[in-house]
Amino acid sequence: MTDTTLKSAVTPARIGRHRLGLIALGLVLAALFVTPVVIGDEFVYHIFITICIFAALSTAWNIVGGYAGQLSLGHAIFYGIGAYAGVILVNMGISPWIGMFAGAAVAVVAAVVVSYPCFRLHGPFFALATIAFLEVFRVLALHFRELTGGATGLMIPLKIGWEWMVFRERLPALIIAFGMLLVCLGVAWAIRSRRLGFHLIATRERESAARAAGVGTVKVRLFAVAVSAALSAMVGTFHAMYLTFIEPSSMFSLQLSIQIAMFALIGGIGTVWGPLLGAVLLVPITEFARGALGAEAIGLHGFVYGVVLMLVVLFMPNGIMGVLARFASGRKEAAGDEPDTHIAAVARTDVAPQIGDPVLRVEGLQKHFGGLHVTNDVSFTLREGEILGLIGPNGAGKTTVFNMLSGFLKPDQGSVTLLGPDGEWHEPGNPGDFAALGLGRTFQIVQPFAAMTVEENIMVGAFHRYHAVSDAREAARETAHRMGLGRYLQDEANSLTVGGLKRLEVARVMAMKPRVLLLDEVMAGINRTDVKRAVDLMLSIRETGVSIIAIEHVMQAVMALSDRVVVLSSGEIIAQGDPQEVVRDPHVIEAYLGKEFADA
Amino acid sequence: MQTFLQIIANGLMLGGLFAIIAVGLTLIFGIVKVVNFAHGEFLMVGMYLTYLLTTGIGVHPYATAAAVVPILFVFGAVTQRLLIQPLMHARDEHIQIFATVGLSTALMNLALLIFGADIANTPNHGLRSQIHLGPVRILEGQLWIFLAAILLVTGLQLFLARTNTGRAIRATAQNRAAARLMGINDRFIYVLTFGIGAACVGFGSALIAPLYPTSPTIGTYFVLIAFVIVVLGGLGSIPGAFFGALIIGLVDALSGFYIGSDLREAVVFGIFLVILILKPSGLFGTRVSQSHVSP
Repeated sequence: MTDTTLKSAVTPARIGRHRLGLIALGLVLAALFVTPVVIGDEFVYHIFITICIFAALSTAWNIVGGYAGQLSLGHAIFYGIGAYAGVILVNMGISPWIGMFAGAAVAVVAAVVVSYPCFRLHGPFFALATIAFLEVFRVLALHFRELTGGATGLMIPLKIGWEWMVFRERLPALIIAFGMLLVCLGVAWAIRSRRLGFHLIATRERESAARAAGVGTVKVRLFAVAVSAALSAMVGTFHAMYLTFIEPSSMFSLQLSIQIAMFALIGGIGTVWGPLLGAVLLVPITEFARGALGAEAIGLHGFVYGVVLMLVVLFMPNGIMGVLARFASGRKEAAGDEPDTHIAAVARTDVAPQIGDPVLRVEGLQKHFGGLHVTNDVSFTLREGEILGLIGPNGAGKTTVFNMLSGFLKPDQGSVTLLGPDGEWHEPGNPGDFAALGLGRTFQIVQPFAAMTVEENIMVGAFHRYHAVSDAREAARETAHRMGLGRYLQDEANSLTVGGLKRLEVARVMAMKPRVLLLDEVMAGINRTDVKRAVDLMLSIRETGVSIIAIEHVMQAVMALSDRVVVLSSGEIIAQGDPQEVVRDPHVIEAYLGKEFADA
Repeated sequence: MQTFLQIIANGLMLGGLFAIIAVGLTLIFGIVKVVNFAHGEFLMVGMYLTYLLTTGIGVHPYATAAAVVPILFVFGAVTQRLLIQPLMHARDEHIQIFATVGLSTALMNLALLIFGADIANTPNHGLRSQIHLGPVRILEGQLWIFLAAILLVTGLQLFLARTNTGRAIRATAQNRAAARLMGINDRFIYVLTFGIGAACVGFGSALIAPLYPTSPTIGTYFVLIAFVIVVLGGLGSIPGAFFGALIIGLVDALSGFYIGSDLREAVVFGIFLVILILKPSGLFGTRVSQSHVSP
């Protein structure tokens, strides 16, 4: 999942390699066009046109299957829709150049209708649902004979010329196929290198963390599916014109869907150029087997495909691009231009912090999980610039309260209202609305976007405020330096230590510039020095006017930080108020340590 | 009325056939948590083995089960050990899907290379003769398949519920880490389960081969139906797979007659999609507990 085109390079060596990669890809693309023209052989033309078509389809698939991580094995639906729309309209005397867009429009509608309910499904279930939809489309195409010609298929009328996309010679067909490939690559590259691409990959990696960062996870995936379907349909229209004959079993074909996905996987799933490389390497095998060996070798190319696919998943699951990336980045040289790396020490003023008016009101929250009453009439208020400690023994229901405060759970009763930047009170219904009103949260179990670098992780938060990649990058870097993550910017998020991941979690939410911050055990499991740093960090965050609710077990930190403490036990608030007083409350001692201790 | 009863009978018989294929799939799906897209090709391999053995040495097709079942068991076990096991920890579950899709593609095309696209008819030894069962007529072979399906489902269910190995398999499915702590060799359990799942379909193929012509693509049709059944019955539920298969068999037969034989599949897959989207745990499955600690 390494995408060399994205990592804005820091060191000159990196830029050099980056440029080298682009030149190599440019050469591959040029060769795709020039080789057949130079050789001039019909069969060679045919192979290269087919490469372009499959590379384009696979690149379009990759927007959904790779970036969004929704493994569709039904992409032939859109290809088939494009093909049928094109041929049916041509038979009515309408040019495929128009039919192409008609097909794309139908495909977009089909894609949204098919995908929306399926996004609830994960992994294999999504794949199975797409296969089922594909089967339904195939059966329907066979059934409605008047429209599709049924099993006998449809021929295109022999009208030749650019207007009809049908030619006697092969060069114009190559030009169109190559052009379509460039369009698909261009769209894929544009998506990947913009905010949408970050949002898609964040959604793929950790859906809840993406939602907490204000990403409209359903919206971005629907958009990706729609774009991918439109591109596939347009390629389908052209391919139908090129084949001159279409039938349901070859258009709405599971084998075709699998092949499209397979090229992407072999080349490098989720990368911009992987699908192209996969198609360049594998399509010639099919076509040679078909053209040169003929009937004797029926099944040979499929056998090779299957074996290659198994070998790739076993030995190079990141595909060719993964291997190339490993060779290219002979492993990073320590970026030594980072003197700071520690949390910028904030000049601590001893002036008592300004605590203002309420910004968050929690009223009468109730929540049941089956027979378990996890939240019982929880009410409290958070004021501007306040740090509110939420403590309680394990299983008290603290995280459940957080999930209701950030829209991940709906309370059975009660309300959470938040003061918006407009000065009005709002009652948001989902994580996206909470994020839009300036509420950010971290997760107790850290949720890094594993396939992204530290910088890209923080950028996902920063995209909440900025649209342009450069602004988000700038903001992310600034936040990273403030959090002491400056020297890890280009590292994979997964390579951080536990303390580092906790800081990354905070950095990502800080990059959103929230007005209300929910921190869920950001100090658990980190060492003493890190605790001290984290305390300083939280104080410095508060000084910028952010209101914080922190779930915390590290008592030393709770006492040092909190202006006020709410103690939760078995879903109920048993005490709240000044930290020093609360810890002496016998109910609190009992809840934590048992009755004997309270009496002692 | 006569026709209706005949359709019901056909549907039930078809359901029995589907059940015998789906049971192995649901076992693998439920325990190893891998969607075996190559399950249909396991069936295809089994049917070709039956075909070769019956035509080669002239035995009764049912007798070939003695060879086909162990061969498929080994085949399944080896698949798990060499292909799935190394991918059990893959970060991306798509990888496992691609692995079995690759196996499926390779096997199907290998059969195409060896046997060609022509169909292979296994000698039926009178199994295609009709018998009268009250007002309806069915093929003798269909009846045997139906009875065998009941036997297989009951046997597997007893094996999982009553034997120590069965308990170990269920424990591993429910919580792999805890099962390991109890001294269960989880890798062995997975290899064994995959083997049993493949052996089930091997058993089925010896029964199915005399009734259906064998071809390289025979598995594709059956495996899609089997997926529908597995989801309908609830993942990993063996009785669920049986009753799901009967339901799908009836739906197939009824819609084939009343809606049109070319739309049968659309109806079956339509039901599948509705179940998948509205009740992904299946008709007979229990709801998987959702962790509320971290959304």
